[in-house]
Amino acid sequence: MLDGANLIIYGAAVSAISFFGVLFMMPAAIRSLTAKCKVVPDAHKPERPQIPRPAGPVIMISIAAAEIVLFLLTMNIAVFAILLTTAIAFLVGYIDDSRVMPGWFKPVALLAAAIPLVVLDIYGGGEEYGEGEEYGEFLNLIFGRAYIPLLYIPLMFIIIPIAGNTINSIDVLNGVASGFLIIATIPLLTSIAIFGSHEVFLAALPLLFATIAFYRYHKFPSRIFPGDSGTLLLGAMYGAVAIAGSSEIIGVVALLPAVMNSFLFLASVKRIVEHREVKVRPTILTDDFKLAASTDSMAPATLVRLIVVDRPLGEKEIGYQIFKLATFTALLAFASIAIQYIVFLR
Amino acid sequence: MALTTLALLMTGMWAMILAAAAFLVIFVAPLETYIYLFGPRGGRLTISAVQAVIAILIVVALALALNRLKGIYLRRKLQE
Repeated sequence: MLDGANLIIYGAAVSAISFFGVLFMMPAAIRSLTAKCKVVPDAHKPERPQIPRPAGPVIMISIAAAEIVLFLLTMNIAVFAILLTTAIAFLVGYIDDSRVMPGWFKPVALLAAAIPLVVLDIYGGGEEYGEGEEYGEFLNLIFGRAYIPLLYIPLMFIIIPIAGNTINSIDVLNGVASGFLIIATIPLLTSIAIFGSHEVFLAALPLLFATIAFYRYHKFPSRIFPGDSGTLLLGAMYGAVAIAGSSEIIGVVALLPAVMNSFLFLASVKRIVEHREVKVRPTILTDDFKLAASTDSMAPATLVRLIVVDRPLGEKEIGYQIFKLATFTALLAFASIAIQYIVFLR
Repeated sequence: MALTTLALLMTGMWAMILAAAAFLVIFVAPLETYIYLFGPRGGRLTISAVQAVIAILIVVALALALNRLKGIYLRRKLQE
């Protein structure tokens, strides 16, 4: 366990490395990707401007640098496991960015990203379980803990692909994935600080700070897109720190709008497919470049379709609506933290 | 308006998650006390398997309930 001074110094160091890494490297990445014609059209704008993609490598380098420094300072195995999980998810996304892969590829390949968490024994527990005491495999369930080892290990192989694909599937409009993740990460960090360990809290800081720096370039109108490498690494890292920080339920609650988006899409199309493979679009682009809900009964249900069901909205406006929803679920996550805190005090 | 309804939907999902968590803590976690019924070796494994099956059934029930909520919401909204 770290003392207060080390906690502040290490926290400031990893936050600064991840934040300034993304902030200073991203303009060069934008220029380099544009020069190499690694661009995709921004479909919801007049004249469909070409936007460089992916930003994943810059985000990965910045987060990896911060996590390596933290690992060298603390020699905590949880930090190493979170880094490995994030790196594997990044590689999966980078393959998907580089070539067109079938819909099953990402969820199946992301199973590999959960392996470091299982092999390095990073789950459950928390600071109240000291050396020599029974540790691990405890599900933190707000009202108490449950020891279900047969459930917990398979659960990790479910959480990581779901978290990665959930952030990936909400990356539909400028700035939404990064802005949403910033809002969702705040209650998760709070929960880890209270119920998890100091080291995992420090390991989670680069997720927040790298995403804040990235949002500057990703917000409407986007100057770069994260690509699958960016969204999968951020989603998988979110899942990994939630598991290692004993905050799985809080993590799910904070992520509810994105979870619902994935669930609605899956429940509609009834199979795992890429969005590009869906024949009927959930929304239609109007002549004044607003998005309206499709009235086709075969169109998949998505969060954006539900938001624009009353009236067509512009891309920026939809983004703000999603952020309002994310803020609301973040408050629900804080309410869950308060309930858990009261239960633990008793 | 759509956002208010979606926020209500989120609150419903949150309540279902908390209810499932409470059920697991109150009814499923204490099943550990019945380990002795299955002997000293297989007890932990058997009880853990029973707990895992119940937890999975709860998650499936949650997903079905959510699917139903989604169906009702979409039908109502798209018919307006």
